[in-house]
Amino acid sequence: MNPTLIVASIRQRLASPLRMAVLAALVGLPLLPVAFAPAPGLWFLGDSMGIALVVAAGAIGPDVSAGVLQILFARPVRRSEYVLSRWCALASGSALVRLAQIAVATLILAARGSAPASHDLVSLVVGNALTPIGIAAVLVMLSSLAPGLGDLGLYLLGNLAGLVLEFWGRVAGRSFLERAGDEVRRFLTPDVDISPILNGGDVPWFAIVSYLSTVTLCLAVAVVVMNRKELSYASG
Amino acid sequence: MPADDPGVPVRGPSRGTPRVLLWVAAALLVGRVATGVYERRHVESHMLPGSIQPADRVAWRPIASAEAEARESHRPILYDFTAEWCPPCQKMKREVFSDPSSADRINRMFVPVRVLDRTREEGKNAPEVERLFTHFNVDAFPTLVVVRPDGGEPVVMSGYGGREETLRRLIEAGVEARSGMGAGDPMGSRPGARRK
Repeated sequence: MNPTLIVASIRQRLASPLRMAVLAALVGLPLLPVAFAPAPGLWFLGDSMGIALVVAAGAIGPDVSAGVLQILFARPVRRSEYVLSRWCALASGSALVRLAQIAVATLILAARGSAPASHDLVSLVVGNALTPIGIAAVLVMLSSLAPGLGDLGLYLLGNLAGLVLEFWGRVAGRSFLERAGDEVRRFLTPDVDISPILNGGDVPWFAIVSYLSTVTLCLAVAVVVMNRKELSYASG
Repeated sequence: MPADDPGVPVRGPSRGTPRVLLWVAAALLVGRVATGVYERRHVESHMLPGSIQPADRVAWRPIASAEAEARESHRPILYDFTAEWCPPCQKMKREVFSDPSSADRINRMFVPVRVLDRTREEGKNAPEVERLFTHFNVDAFPTLVVVRPDGGEPVVMSGYGGREETLRRLIEAGVEARSGMGAGDPMGSRPGARRK
């Protein structure tokens, strides 16, 4: 991975006013009920998918469309290095934003005398750090396949297809369709719930291995696709 | 030349493929299938013959430690009174407790405790299970009971009226329990099975 590329990717995200405005809303609005609701709790924060999507959408596609990569790869930079640095920047960026939101919410709750139990906090922090990292890998893969913000479209389409499959399987009583839909959605939003471990239950090996498999598979596909891409000023 | 033409060269100054990544991805893919098959068999060995149920994702706590955990974490206890033979209970398990987002919400909001009735299978229940049935006067399945960490009036929800409604009622009951405002029966009567 290339630190210069990682920093450049983060700066590129920070330079987009629209993205920053949406991100500020996604971070700030859930904190309002945490601060003012009569029965505050961390569940008001919801999940981390929104933040991950806003930070990581358009991971590679816009660079292809804008002709940035043609110039970048004229330098001694490997395509795999670019893909992995990009993922690293977006994954760590979205995870840090989410963790900062949780930290602020925890401070607010502590100030209101409703500090969450350490057990809950550990579970929430680990889960909310892992999900954006996974979603960033998925979006990097989808972005290597589609120009511009096409990765976001593919992501939403994939989730919709998963929901339709699940619904169809449920209505038709076909469990394999239901399972397939569930797997599609789990692939697109990889996460690991560690609460069974914290509660002294079994280690969720399938969830852990599935998560790692999704992340590595997405990055491997993105690298292979980028390696096969013929970049010219006429492409994209 | 098209962007993804299979005829384009895959080697060049910027085109190195990290083989370690490919090997790790392949190994994890194999591991994914293996752990998936293992967990499926493991779950099936704990299920009734012929039933098809996805894994329950709620982190159910033991009855004995639930009250202490609820007091410590300031979260209400959610008791799920259920039975293996009860079809609405299995439907609720499939649609609510096996759904990742619903289960996640329940895990965060409550200290969840499953109270499994075994009178049909074994003729009687364990004393702590029977104590809860008597205490909350439960005579139908499924019944969800939300209890405030400091005791107080429990919220009792009998029957199963679908995923969305159950979640909505649970969140309402959870918020009420946290704010110290007990309620009666916000679920009303829903499809369920009689205990005896």
